[in-house]
Amino acid sequence: MATTHEQIDELLAADLHDELTAAERDEFHAHLVECAECRQAFQEGKNMNRILNETMAEKKADAGFETRMVSQFRDRVPKRSGLISLITDLMRVRAVQVTAVAAILLALAQMGKMITGESATQKQRSEYISNTVEAETDKPGATRDLGVLAKTDGRSKGADLVSQAPAPAPPQDKPQTETSLPVTVYSADVLSRQTSTAPKTKKMQAKDEKAPTSPAETSPEFVEERPTSPSAVGPTANRKLIRNATAELEVASFDESIQKITAFATEEKGYVATTSSEKQANGKLRGEIVVKVLPDNLDRFLGKLRGIGDLKNQALTTEDVTKAYFDTESRLKNARLMEQRLIEILKTKSKDVADLLEVEKELGRVREQIETMQGELKFMDSQVAFATVTITLAEKNMNLPAAFLLKEKAQLSLYATEVEKTYNEIKALASPKVQITNAQIDRDNTGRVSARLSLLLAPDESEGVIAKIKGMARVENFQVTTERVSQGGDGLGENAKTERDKVELNITLSRDEQETALQQTTLRIETSQVSEKTKQLRAIAEQQGGRIRSSSFSRDPNGREYSTVSLRVPMKNYSALMQALNGLGKVENVSVRRDDRPDSQIDEANAPADVSMTIYSQGNFISADTGMWATLRRTIGQGAAALMWSARMIGVAVAFLAPWALILGAVGWVARRVARARAARKQAAEQEAGRR
Amino acid sequence: MDSSEQAIFRAAVQGDREAFEMVIRSVSRNLFAIAYGVLQNREEAEDVVQDTFVKAWKSRWRVRDSAKLPAWLATIARHRARDLARKKRPEPLSENFESQEVVENASQTADLDGEVRSALAQLPELHRVALTLRYFEDLDYGTIEQTLGLTNGALRGILGRALGLMRKRLKPALASIG
Repeated sequence: MATTHEQIDELLAADLHDELTAAERDEFHAHLVECAECRQAFQEGKNMNRILNETMAEKKADAGFETRMVSQFRDRVPKRSGLISLITDLMRVRAVQVTAVAAILLALAQMGKMITGESATQKQRSEYISNTVEAETDKPGATRDLGVLAKTDGRSKGADLVSQAPAPAPPQDKPQTETSLPVTVYSADVLSRQTSTAPKTKKMQAKDEKAPTSPAETSPEFVEERPTSPSAVGPTANRKLIRNATAELEVASFDESIQKITAFATEEKGYVATTSSEKQANGKLRGEIVVKVLPDNLDRFLGKLRGIGDLKNQALTTEDVTKAYFDTESRLKNARLMEQRLIEILKTKSKDVADLLEVEKELGRVREQIETMQGELKFMDSQVAFATVTITLAEKNMNLPAAFLLKEKAQLSLYATEVEKTYNEIKALASPKVQITNAQIDRDNTGRVSARLSLLLAPDESEGVIAKIKGMARVENFQVTTERVSQGGDGLGENAKTERDKVELNITLSRDEQETALQQTTLRIETSQVSEKTKQLRAIAEQQGGRIRSSSFSRDPNGREYSTVSLRVPMKNYSALMQALNGLGKVENVSVRRDDRPDSQIDEANAPADVSMTIYSQGNFISADTGMWATLRRTIGQGAAALMWSARMIGVAVAFLAPWALILGAVGWVARRVARARAARKQAAEQEAGRR
Repeated sequence: MDSSEQAIFRAAVQGDREAFEMVIRSVSRNLFAIAYGVLQNREEAEDVVQDTFVKAWKSRWRVRDSAKLPAWLATIARHRARDLARKKRPEPLSENFESQEVVENASQTADLDGEVRSALAQLPELHRVALTLRYFEDLDYGTIEQTLGLTNGALRGILGRALGLMRKRLKPALASIG
């Protein structure tokens, strides 16, 4: 009873709304009898229900509500015309939406194809070929390579046509378009031969003209299509496959391996076709062996090969000649038919000798073709019957060198005082063991001389000769490179012997003038008698074994005299020269630059040292540029220059400002005019107003 | 629901105007009750119902199961009414009825109709809608549940609570009548 009490609101409402089951109602009313509180609530609820019924009744939808709704609906949703509503309704169906999207995509794809230029004709073609293939598959015997069979079928049709050739049937009606070029042209050829004998020539000639053109148009298309046609892959058993394998092996002994391979070949029902071998410089053998085995045994044979030695590489190729084979076969069949036909013509219909000869000639051509094709087929058969294995064998350590050769190359650069003399001296050394391979002497227009020589020296003589040449002139640079060349391989070759080869010597000769000095000195000597001291200097230089390289003399307007002398002495005489110079006058500004070449071992005592000297005197007179007048002149000149400069600046400023000033002036003028015009108008208006 | 009704619903969903008008006739009163339940205003409720039909007609293709067309229409009507109510009164009607202090004596002087109205206004929306559906159209519980998308038997609790609250709020007035 407690639950009823708790659920009083619910039960009360349900009772009032007559939604209680009989059992519930009984229970509820029983509770009301017991419970005063609930009874009270029940009474209130009943009143509540009544009030609600009364108040709500006023507010609920009036009687004409539905009709009003419908008519308003009609007003607000006008009826659309049948077609539009049909379309809009249709567009709401999911299936239609999907179809529409698909159609749009398809259209886009088609447009894309059109834009990219992928021709729609190609598609048509492939459809066409697949149709023909389907048609052909119904025929007996067409099982495996559909493309090939479709084609051969076409051919045989062409052959049929040839056999029917005498019948004057219009060629357009025949499926001649499917036949390939050679056969059809052929048939046309024969037709023309035939018709020339027959009385009804005109009609046939017209046909003759037509016949070759139609296959010419269609056959390239046919050839092009063939790759696109679906070709079913059949089992390999009925295919014509040429299997080839190549293997490269490294073996211990060449002869032994050949024996083993021969044995394997016989085991696998094969034979050794060719062998070849070649002995290397280091005594190792290298060779090739070609083995023919049955294709089915090829894999096993290759497996055995691995046992012989180290397999370097192996390749297995398979060439499918099925199509070519059947092509040739069917062409052969056609050619044979043709042959028979021709023989028949020869036997029966021939009366004209010229025609007879023509047919005879044709027959010869056909027979030649037959033979060629038979040969081709036979060759293919042989290729297919046996797999070819080409094995390259090489003995181990193939690259072990047999010997070494020491190659020496020497490069010698010399400075000579007299190039030509030294050049001739070197040339005089020539003998059977000292061969001059190249000698040239160059003189340029400034009088510089240089020479180049290449010599080949016998190994035992080389050192002596090189030393002799070195003594002839100053050595600037000497370079020897030795190269060890292995023969017959690139390994270490412990047992190989080493030999010395001829020495190649390249000499360049140049004048010592061109040599850069080891030490360069510049100095100034002040003296009053420049020319005299210069003479003394020359004497000193000669004494010390120096050579004057250049000298010059000059005098400036102020009476100063300059004499510059540059000379070159050997290093050993350098200090003596310097001391002698001190006797000439006051030595100033001595600077010495020495090129130390720590890497090179040169003959320092004979190395050249350059000394360049300036002997000068102080001027005797006063410069023309001093004094009052000169100063005054300079001052006025500078003043004038300053004036000119400022004038230029003003010009620039004017050039900058003038356009702006012009523009501003123009704008101001226009503004004034406008303002004046406006004022006048205003005045006129006022006057008019005043008049009124 | 019998099969002829089903057929009408299907035709209406598929765009048959006559069928749709039949649907309008059959459900417009219920929709009015719902809209009135939310809005407590007859003119507004009528507008809502009208809008509901127009909108439903335009988007009828969204209905997957044509049998649920009336419930779908009821949902639209309720949403539209609620939107309108929100627009009219930015602050939502108090949903927190439990904690609301029951005003017992405040409305003693006011007339009964006004008291009922204010008591109704204090009810949660769903309760009010359920009440209007019941008292306007005298629908049985099952139909109301179906229309409002309620689970079986939920309505008894809702109506019970609604009536209970009303009763407590209108106690003085009821006592005076009693």
